[in-house]
Amino acid sequence: MDNCIFVVMETAEGVIKNVGLEMITPAKEIAAAKSLKTVAVVLGKNLAETAKQAANYGADAVITVELNSDYSSDEYAFAVAEICKKYNPEAVFIGATQNGKDLAPRVAVKLNTGCASDVTGIKMGDDGKIHFTCPVYGGTILAENVIDTLPQMATIRGGVFKKCEPAESTAEIINENITPENVKTKIVDVVKEISESVNLEDAEVIVAGGRGMGSAENFSLVKELADVLGGVVGATRAPIESGWISRAHQIGQSGKIVAPKLYIACGISGATQHVTGMVGSDYIVAINKDEDAPIFDVANVGIVGNVMQVIPEMINEIKKLRA
Amino acid sequence: MEILVCVKQVPDDSVKIGLNSSGKPAVDGVTMVANAFDTYALEMATRLKEANEGTITVVAIGPEKAKDALKSCLAVGASKAYIVNEDGLGDMDSLTTGYTLSKAVAKIEELNGAKFDIIFCGKETTDCTTGMVGAQLAERLGIGCVTGIVDIELKDGGISVKQETEEGYNVVETSLPAVVTVNKPAYDPRYPTMKSKMAARKIPIGEISKADLGVEDDKIVPSVKVISLSEPPKKQAGVKINEKTFEDTMAKAMEILKDAKVF
Repeated sequence: MDNCIFVVMETAEGVIKNVGLEMITPAKEIAAAKSLKTVAVVLGKNLAETAKQAANYGADAVITVELNSDYSSDEYAFAVAEICKKYNPEAVFIGATQNGKDLAPRVAVKLNTGCASDVTGIKMGDDGKIHFTCPVYGGTILAENVIDTLPQMATIRGGVFKKCEPAESTAEIINENITPENVKTKIVDVVKEISESVNLEDAEVIVAGGRGMGSAENFSLVKELADVLGGVVGATRAPIESGWISRAHQIGQSGKIVAPKLYIACGISGATQHVTGMVGSDYIVAINKDEDAPIFDVANVGIVGNVMQVIPEMINEIKKLRA
Repeated sequence: MEILVCVKQVPDDSVKIGLNSSGKPAVDGVTMVANAFDTYALEMATRLKEANEGTITVVAIGPEKAKDALKSCLAVGASKAYIVNEDGLGDMDSLTTGYTLSKAVAKIEELNGAKFDIIFCGKETTDCTTGMVGAQLAERLGIGCVTGIVDIELKDGGISVKQETEEGYNVVETSLPAVVTVNKPAYDPRYPTMKSKMAARKIPIGEISKADLGVEDDKIVPSVKVISLSEPPKKQAGVKINEKTFEDTMAKAMEILKDAKVF
């Protein structure tokens, strides 16, 4: 299978993570420009049904590698590097999830090649190379990168590309057996502290609260507004460290990067560490009592006022509109 | 226990950095600091050292001025510091940085006369944010690596670490030596005292040149090349609503939001 692009699919309990399927879309564009095949490489446990999913979302062929877990770095890095050595892909795309960002740098060393990180744009250059857009300095600058070595590797941010429409596919499915060697780290326990599943990346509406909400009790207003709008709750680091809400909701440098259609920032001052994570939103509404708060610099509409007054009134108005 | 903490000096990440008139990142005049995640790594290493004895060495690759970041580390837990002078190393990407650091580790081990047990890195830098160097250093050294940890303890001659995940955390064990990359733990880095700052000033910073490292020239050619830099499209200038009364402010805000079909 010469001349292909690999799209590495991370799975959780046999289901492919969204970013894996999303990456097929840019991979197919590059593949079309260079007459390559788009090959999904699916790794994980119990993959018989999973492989079909990748095919239905547009992969020209699927390679499966059965491993003992949904992820463990040494095994996965070994397996992906071995598959790459066998098939020599022109490019390897990996989702920029926590696991993907753990995996990609190791594979890059094993293949002695470069890797673009957290890619938000992909296009074919006139130079025959893939041009990757990577945010730097917290997203205030975008770097366009090329990779001089093969395969051209990249971790791709979730939510940037749209999945293809699924269709029944007869794409070839190849099972590869790989026995990982040189395993040095071992996951001895997986602890689930956070039971709620919070899908900030795919949310169309996010209502986020910051330190300015003042207390856990007041923070419930953020949840109420999110409920009225059918949105998801986000937060800066302060409410999380104060225990008002779980870490799963964190947006910014040490949390999620989001780009919803509507982002409402409540009592958020707008430190760059947070703005980094939400500045890509289509429409930003900010509520803050400090009229000099930097959050207003990125907001489409800034409301100078006390969140405890503004949010309840906003909820009332929205309810009236939707009645 | 011999501990190494890898540190990068970066522009203060609370300052928004755009492009200057010649299209380069406008970092002139921005205070340079130790990368935030590296300071978390140093704090975690210092707590481990305090609980178990040991010595912490810090290393940075950079210009002469990067010594300032090392001095700040010497005031909050580190007792030895080395700077790898970037002269002759050219533009670096993650791959060449990981390689160069692996050579620096070998050189410092030779100078210190002891092998490192644990190498700490921040999980990413706040300027380039690739988050790849720690894992790539471990690969080059051929030792185990756990990324994004928030806690560490010694166990059975190795380490047991808490690796943060979306749903909670994994407990991961590995033998030593190993590399760990550190996410924001539950605590903040400590502040230096006047006394610790004074003491830090007296500690000499070891200098390592490209020649000392013995790097192979073909291995420090970056694979990832930056073709161009741009700023993301600016948001259309927004409106800030601050009327005399709360009622007027809300009325105006709701009118705009309704017109924009936001609600």
